[in-house]
Amino acid sequence: MTAVRKVGATLLAPVLAVAIALVISAVVMVAIGVDPFRALDVMVDFGDSPTQQVTAIVVVLNRAVPLFLAGLAVAVAFRMGLFNIGVEGQYRLATVLAAGAGAAISLPGPLHLVAIIVVAMLVGAVWAGIVAVLKVTRGVSEVISSIMLNFIALGLASFLLTGPLRGSEPGASIITTKDIPESGWFPSLNGLFDALGLANPPRQLYGFLLVAVLVGVVVAVLLKRTRFGFDLRATGLSASAASASGVDAKRMVITTMLISGAIAGLIGLPDLLGSDHNYGTEFTSGLGFLGIAVALLGRNNPVGIALAALLFAFLDRAAVPLQIAGIPSSVVTIIQGTIVLAVVIANEVARRIARRQAESGGAVAAPPAGDGSSPGPGSAPATGPALTNATGAAGRTDPTGSAQ
Amino acid sequence: MTDSAPLAVELRGITKRFPGVVANKDIELRVARGEVHAIVGENGAGKSTLMKTLYGMHRPDEGQILLDGREVVFKNPADAIAAGVGMVHQHFMLADNLTVLENVVLGAEKAHGIGAAARRRIVELSDAYALGLEPDTLVEDLGVGDRQRVEIAKVLYRGATTLILDEPTAVLVPQEVDELFGNLAELKREGLTVIFISHKLDEVRKVADSITVIRRGTTVGTADPRTTTSKQLAELMVGAELPTPQTRTSTVRDTPVLQLTGVTVAGQGARPAVDDVTLTVREGEVVGIAGVEGNGQAELVDAIMGLRPLAAGTVVLAGEDITTWSTRTRREHGIGFIPEDRHRQGMLLDAPLWENRVLGHQTEAPNAKGVFIDRKAARADTERIMREYDVRAPGADTLAVALSGGNQQKLIVGREMSAGPKLLIAAHPTRGVDVGAQSVIWELLKDARAEGMGIVLISADLDELIGLSDTLQVMLRGGVVATLDPGAVTPEQLGGYMTGAVEGSTAGAA
Repeated sequence: MTAVRKVGATLLAPVLAVAIALVISAVVMVAIGVDPFRALDVMVDFGDSPTQQVTAIVVVLNRAVPLFLAGLAVAVAFRMGLFNIGVEGQYRLATVLAAGAGAAISLPGPLHLVAIIVVAMLVGAVWAGIVAVLKVTRGVSEVISSIMLNFIALGLASFLLTGPLRGSEPGASIITTKDIPESGWFPSLNGLFDALGLANPPRQLYGFLLVAVLVGVVVAVLLKRTRFGFDLRATGLSASAASASGVDAKRMVITTMLISGAIAGLIGLPDLLGSDHNYGTEFTSGLGFLGIAVALLGRNNPVGIALAALLFAFLDRAAVPLQIAGIPSSVVTIIQGTIVLAVVIANEVARRIARRQAESGGAVAAPPAGDGSSPGPGSAPATGPALTNATGAAGRTDPTGSAQ
Repeated sequence: MTDSAPLAVELRGITKRFPGVVANKDIELRVARGEVHAIVGENGAGKSTLMKTLYGMHRPDEGQILLDGREVVFKNPADAIAAGVGMVHQHFMLADNLTVLENVVLGAEKAHGIGAAARRRIVELSDAYALGLEPDTLVEDLGVGDRQRVEIAKVLYRGATTLILDEPTAVLVPQEVDELFGNLAELKREGLTVIFISHKLDEVRKVADSITVIRRGTTVGTADPRTTTSKQLAELMVGAELPTPQTRTSTVRDTPVLQLTGVTVAGQGARPAVDDVTLTVREGEVVGIAGVEGNGQAELVDAIMGLRPLAAGTVVLAGEDITTWSTRTRREHGIGFIPEDRHRQGMLLDAPLWENRVLGHQTEAPNAKGVFIDRKAARADTERIMREYDVRAPGADTLAVALSGGNQQKLIVGREMSAGPKLLIAAHPTRGVDVGAQSVIWELLKDARAEGMGIVLISADLDELIGLSDTLQVMLRGGVVATLDPGAVTPEQLGGYMTGAVEGSTAGAA
């Protein structure tokens, strides 16, 4: 019951999962002839000089910011039992349109930034909104429609990039949109290093970090403290109980997907506004899918997602040094993959243990539990958010016809 | 007491602990071959834990299980089945869209294959024990009693010689209960042993050859049903007299709280699930809805709560037409809801109690402050509900899943009562709760009625319906087929109306 124990219990599953994943990855590395300890050594080596070390930290933070936003976008939907697999398409389309809009318009500094951010959030929200509308009007599983919309979004983004929004000269090998003018660049946080007396690295620490933190706080408050968040979480825990309590399930699906999509729209902005200033064929991809892994690892909790994003960013950074050291950089992918698998399993195991403890041990003051009135662990394996909706939208209808 | 013949089942000193709680302690049970042995006790007394031990679903921490005098150790239910112990669960585990034959054979394909041999065996069993099963009928077309017989056939098909029946009568109407008891007599005549779990003492005395009473996790005695009265059994069971659901004098006033006019809800097929139901609930009135489960009661409740669209008709709450209102608006305007399945509709099992107190009242004081949830006030109010409604739990942050069924239900009742509703929909309010909680809930309903609340009571417990209601409406195939005066009807008569054996009439209700 103490806070320490509670935190310990929450952290147990992810920490254990990461540890197990590292062991499995080590076995794989040995199998492909890589010394796991040397690989680990390379991964944690941030360089010798203070500048190198600070640069490495900046690289990790810069990668963590979009991963954090991606994790948040996925988690908001997860918390109400919706699988937004479409984050990838949502952010890619949002980024290309935001880049196009940013280059096309000209506004004084902050307004320019705000306009770009609003465009990105709107596009993400609209794209995710299609999924929601399909779900509530036609009963289409959001998993299917959001995956399908990913393909359409990527195609559409390519079309926009090579067609209407193309900024590169004909024949250029890398195609990009026009550059956003400097009024639409997000200022970096490098002044911070001087203030802290650290070496100022050549890399720019994304100012968008602040926006991400703000979004994280807003999401945390929204989920934990507001009536809307309560309805959202209640729907995720039990859709039937939530609608009996007065939650409008359809409106909930739409609102939640809009929020998730709007956050997804932000994912590309740290890179776009902080360093690239245009969207091109080389723009970072795959963040939406990594976001699913980050949300899982962070157990859909904003603080957890921040930690998970840092871990994934740290692994990401290691890819280049590993290659330099002659170790295949796919080691990173292997570790990330095994972490995801281990987390899914560990979360489920931890959930069952916690539930069993609660069922049998929690009610000490009450008469002995374990009676037929409460379903045994086997009779109703209500899985965690990760797996609840794997069975599709059927969760909302009543499958218990046999008891009649 | 012991003859030379070994006992079919003997449990010696069975103790089963879960972290923080002893569910069973020093259980002694002796069941002779060929008898119907009843195990009675309150909900939460440890009956089901004990039966799970005997059926191999978990292993005891101490003690021995002996079958026919030989000690056995079950690692899982498969071991128990192999040793001839079978369990008929309270909640049927049947696939609706499969036939009786397929359901019986499912998972036991090795025994007699899936073809003609299996069919022969099922017909044999059905004839030998008068189960009256048609192998090719779809289970979805069967009534509750038939489904139960399919469950029994499943167990027999797997070669069980000892059958455990967990609360088998909970889902049956009186006529079906009698049929079940007929089947049990057949089983007994063929030398099978039946262990019968129940807390309905009259039934137990009717059917059992011997009785073991469990209280607070341990066996407190055995009784001979021929020489023991229900009262004596009740005292053994709870150490106190059983409460009765009888209401006091009528408190019905003139003002209607709820008026349903021609309410119709579309069903799965051509037949509507609720067919042109018109009824009125007045202030201070309890309107009981009787009916075999699945005859439209659940859909009617959904229609009143706004959880299911109406095909026709109007719903009027205290003079206001609420037909098009959302569930939330209805709740805000004074409809309280105790759902039939609290795990499905009434609780968030993986959430703490205080969040469960908020559930259904997200927009109301003291839970909400503007768009925010007032966590502190909600917690404090949860503590109050726990005190006033005797919800036994460590604190407001305990997960709901940790509470026994009775305590969960008391929390739900307390939560709904706290909002001071004009109308309360109470669907099976005492299902699966222990005797203590049952009497608390009955008292609360009676008090609320006396204060002028209108109550719609749906229940499968006919004594509860007759005892608490001012008016009884019987539902059959979606329609109201009879309006009865609870003061002038017996459970048997009511059962007749419910099954359609007696034609509907309006026997001068209040």
